[in-house]
Amino acid sequence: MLLDYAKLASNSLKKRKTRTYLTMIGIFIGIAAVVSLIGLGEGLRAAIMGQFGFLGPDVLGVQASGLNFAGPPGTAVVTPLTDDLADKIERIPGVEAAINRYLESGTMEFNDRQVIGFSYSVPEGEDRKVFERMLNLEVAAGRPLKDGDRDKIVVGNDFTLDSMFGKGVRVGDRLLFQGHTFEVVGVLKKKGSFIFDGSLAMNEGILKDLFRKGDDTVNVIGVKVRDVKDVGRVKEDIEDLMRKERDVEKGEEDFEVSSPQQTLETLDSTLFAVQLFVAIIAGISIVVGGIGIMNTMYTAVLERTKEIGIMKAVGAKNSAIFTLFFIESGLLGLLGGAIGVLLGLGLAYGLAFAGRALLHFDLIRAQVSLALILGALAFSFVIGLVAGLVPAWQASRKNPVDALRFVK
Amino acid sequence: MNVDLFGYSLSNLAHRKMRSFLSILSILIGIMSIYALISFGMGLDAYVKGLAEEAGIDKLFVQAKGIGAPGTDENFFLTQDDADFIEKIRGTDQVAPLYMKAGEIAWKDEKKYRFAMGFDLENEGLVMETFAVDVAAGRQLRKGEADAVVLGYNYQFPLKIFKRKIAAGDTIELNGKELKVVGFYSEVGNPSDDANIYLPKEGFEELYPASKEKYGWMIVRAEKGTSADDLADRITERLRKHKGQEEGKEDFFVQTFEDALATFNAILGVLKGILIIIAFISVVVASVNIMNTMYTAVVERTKEIGIMKAVGAQNHTILLVFIFEAGFLGLAGGVLGVLFGWMVAAAGGGIAAAAGFALLKPVFPWYLTFGCIAFAFIIGALSGIFPAKQAAALKPVDSLRYE
Repeated sequence: MLLDYAKLASNSLKKRKTRTYLTMIGIFIGIAAVVSLIGLGEGLRAAIMGQFGFLGPDVLGVQASGLNFAGPPGTAVVTPLTDDLADKIERIPGVEAAINRYLESGTMEFNDRQVIGFSYSVPEGEDRKVFERMLNLEVAAGRPLKDGDRDKIVVGNDFTLDSMFGKGVRVGDRLLFQGHTFEVVGVLKKKGSFIFDGSLAMNEGILKDLFRKGDDTVNVIGVKVRDVKDVGRVKEDIEDLMRKERDVEKGEEDFEVSSPQQTLETLDSTLFAVQLFVAIIAGISIVVGGIGIMNTMYTAVLERTKEIGIMKAVGAKNSAIFTLFFIESGLLGLLGGAIGVLLGLGLAYGLAFAGRALLHFDLIRAQVSLALILGALAFSFVIGLVAGLVPAWQASRKNPVDALRFVK
Repeated sequence: MNVDLFGYSLSNLAHRKMRSFLSILSILIGIMSIYALISFGMGLDAYVKGLAEEAGIDKLFVQAKGIGAPGTDENFFLTQDDADFIEKIRGTDQVAPLYMKAGEIAWKDEKKYRFAMGFDLENEGLVMETFAVDVAAGRQLRKGEADAVVLGYNYQFPLKIFKRKIAAGDTIELNGKELKVVGFYSEVGNPSDDANIYLPKEGFEELYPASKEKYGWMIVRAEKGTSADDLADRITERLRKHKGQEEGKEDFFVQTFEDALATFNAILGVLKGILIIIAFISVVVASVNIMNTMYTAVVERTKEIGIMKAVGAQNHTILLVFIFEAGFLGLAGGVLGVLFGWMVAAAGGGIAAAAGFALLKPVFPWYLTFGCIAFAFIIGALSGIFPAKQAAALKPVDSLRYE
């Protein structure tokens, strides 16, 4: 039954080819724009999230409050953390390890070129294994740092690229950091994060000796919780301890305990808002396309007034006439949507490819999910149906006698 | 003659009210979004241009390299010696070194973290000119006044930064030290700068003793007759030699005010471009709608066209009739689109200003309004060309016979 309606509808669409094509162009331009923009946005979002998403849900970070967006953690703060806190935090039940983390910015020199970057500390002793697991540090070449290494460093994967110093750094090379000579003993696997891939690691001892003499401040304290289920409770315990240690009241904390997951969620919602804004502006064109469908359907109803009269005269019910036009309109939307999705897919992946090739910007990626495709199809079908509602209703209410008498 | 054609087109459109209305609606939506987006974009341009004019083209920034905001990286900074050296370079009129650090500001049981800036009041004029602010309430800081502070514009209002507003004469705590608020600077237009905390050099050094004479950046004014670009090159070269650094390995960089704005402008331009192109898609769709409407109109009026031709209408007359009709659809959509776009942009600007983004202020120059309307008319007329050509090419005999 419904199939018959669909057949009738597609026949009348075929009869008015130019108009059908033009109406569909209206819809598919909009759908293609939305699909490709959302697809590119999703890809970019996934790529950006990948930059930070390497820390597990069982890791907490303790930082002094400040302008945390203004630089690496622990740099733009007012009252820095001190290095005695980690041991106290470690005594909280459920904490596997609390690790002082030191970051030091400086000039990195290799191949007679200079780059500004930073180094981070790797703890010595038992904490080393926990730390390596926490940050998922694995070497792609050479070896990881070990206790007793002094003027040795492990570098991020970007150091092997010619783009950083004009010549890739290899294991065994010598590199200057803040004027001190270090031997590269290992290269880390690529993490996809420009922060990690572009910085270097050295043992805590040498970093403190060279750069933190007589300084008891720490950038961040990384806390590994033994059981993921305890993260919430441990976080509260750390906050209680910190309040006592730093002598601040509840609500006036000058420190923050956060899980990387939380930070990610904030970032994600910001990116999502941007994506939504762009999609809404692109979505305007779909609405305009919908208006086109409505227009076409009004014309179709007018043109076929006589036809409607005849159908009614031979016993067609109002509901049958309604369904006929309603389906025709939905079909217009759906067909337009299908072409739009195909075009959008091509555009998204094509643009992402071109962007990567031309701008050498690895974060430009497209990611069109099945949900997006189905959503776009459903949306275009619904737009078609909604646009057809009033014209179809008008068609169904036509008086058969008047309709038969109608002259164009 | 043309007036007749015009009237004929209009009466045809009125005849098909619903269809004309829908075509106009579709172009209206497209023009509305373009008009609103461009008015915001032009407003931003005007804001940036205003900054450049107020601050002038004779300013340069010398900034320490390093990671993060200037002043926050403790391993990279400029010294008083650097400032004194730059002051002596030929073409330099004045140097204003600036302190910049994160500050913890407390007011009535609330604590916030914002940028604290310190400068020598001897350089007051240069600093105020560069920040494009003046004293909006209270008074200016005085040299050597270690227990006074001037706050950014937004502190004067409740709920913008703190729940409760601060007035001149109130005492706030900065990094635990009590300071008297003596005044407020005028609005910059973005929530970050309007939340800054300003201290005299002496007061800043008391609060941040470890940062004494370690500056994140400096403002330099070029002498009259010296171009900022030339001075930038000279400072880069001389300061590099003075600090014993090799070319390409400087731990500082020099930027003219225009360079700084150019970067900002470039990013802004790309963003604007992308948004307007996306909005433009809806105009394309609308033009397809108009084309569709016009094709239908031609088919419907085949017989009419035949009659007109039979009584002597020439091809170009028929062509003009249909192009007029399409153009009028575009024109009407354009006028209404500009009207609605203006309302949307004005409302959006109001919301942005209330949220602290006074820099997002739409402007509506006459040429934007006129341009959008003309654009809509042209889009309409262009969409009408193919259908009109089809109409003009109809053979009178065939069309008279058409049922």
